[in-house]
Amino acid sequence: MREPLGGTVVRTMRPHSVEGRPSEDTDLVERAQRGDQDAYGELVRRYQALATRTAYVITGTAADAEDAAQEGFTKAYFALDRFRTGAPFRPWLLRIVANEAKNRRKAAGRRPTVDLSVAEDRPSGDTALSPEAAALAGERKESVLAALRQLREEDRLVIAYRYFFELSEAEMADALACARGTVKSRLSRALARLRELASRQVSLDG
Amino acid sequence: MAEHMDERELERTLAQIGRGLPPPSRDLWPLVRARIASGRKRPWWLSVGLPRVALAPALVTLLVLAVAAIGLTTNLVADAERILGLRGVQIFKVPETPTPPPSTQASPVLFTGTRALSVADASKIAGFVVQAPAALGDPDAIYVDASPTRVTLVFSSRPGIPPAAQIGVSALVVEIRGAVDQQLMGKAIGPGTTLEPVEVSGAPGFWLAGSPHLFFLRDANGVPQMETLRLAENTLLWERGGVTYRLEAQVTRDEAIRIASSFR
Repeated sequence: MREPLGGTVVRTMRPHSVEGRPSEDTDLVERAQRGDQDAYGELVRRYQALATRTAYVITGTAADAEDAAQEGFTKAYFALDRFRTGAPFRPWLLRIVANEAKNRRKAAGRRPTVDLSVAEDRPSGDTALSPEAAALAGERKESVLAALRQLREEDRLVIAYRYFFELSEAEMADALACARGTVKSRLSRALARLRELASRQVSLDG
Repeated sequence: MAEHMDERELERTLAQIGRGLPPPSRDLWPLVRARIASGRKRPWWLSVGLPRVALAPALVTLLVLAVAAIGLTTNLVADAERILGLRGVQIFKVPETPTPPPSTQASPVLFTGTRALSVADASKIAGFVVQAPAALGDPDAIYVDASPTRVTLVFSSRPGIPPAAQIGVSALVVEIRGAVDQQLMGKAIGPGTTLEPVEVSGAPGFWLAGSPHLFFLRDANGVPQMETLRLAENTLLWERGGVTYRLEAQVTRDEAIRIASSFR
């Protein structure tokens, strides 16, 4: 019924894509470690959107996500003395933020699904779709979104890191605290579950 | 729908969803800066959940220990000398020995996580082979925690081993599996605590005895879990096969090594 998508999708992952600005990050982290708060402020501003969105993928509520991001940045600040010089800052931060978000979700009581909702994506004039194509894309989006809501948070997170935030394989491994070799298999399992849930969603909808 | 969706469509749809995720409603830096400032001023005993009055006589000592161990204030950290560590364990030598607060006043979290039904069940949940000391018989309770993965074995009452004042049970075993560079637990010891390198069936270990020492666990990111901060008594630490073991019991060093050697 379903094509074995994991392998093909995962092959498109850029193993060395460099997102963020690691060398500038290293400089800012070193300055922050020496007590320069403005340098840390720059890191916060650089990554606050990414941190909040990552937390939102787990909590499903904007207020919890923002709180988790703030607390994550605060904890990261106090843990800076243990941060390995030259290591990438972004995945390390995401690991802390994701942990904060998981704690909030746990504290709120376990729920099988999260209330994940997203804003309408407005295509530019060039890529505007015909009404039929737009309706089809909207339907696709709803079924995938409904499936994402039901996914386990670990699966949702691995998909988010790859497809929402376009993290490199190395960054994903760092952010998920797993071996690089494990990233592809985790992603491919998560995608398989996503497809499974999305297809069930469609049969429920009729 | 989804089964008809090809790979590119799925990728496109996911990217579209990603673009719609809500950004922060405001600039977070002023809020984070305020949290950092208040974090510095926040009395540590509030985080630990100990009433200040009950702690008054021990306050200065414990404050020095806690701050040194947690590393919030650099000049105090300078007083704390990191002396050694097994995989995942850091031990700090600090200038004073803590006075234990009455156990009824302190409520550190000893047992958290998922309750496992047996050692085999715990191994399945934890994802590594959990061992238990045959010398103590079957544990009375087993808990498995994530982030980082750790297993706690509780031995409530065993003949000849008085319940320790700090934990209220005869013996407590914690098994943690972590990466070499991961920081999992911290200990701060004063001059009243003796620290002795030992061997447990050929594996390197340390024996901590004498005055109680300060103990806390770190989460997966190395951040101290304040709720686990507590005083601990006689403890044997050792490492084997990528797992760090910690046995806390009011027994002699040789007895602790005998118990540790019976792990199966």
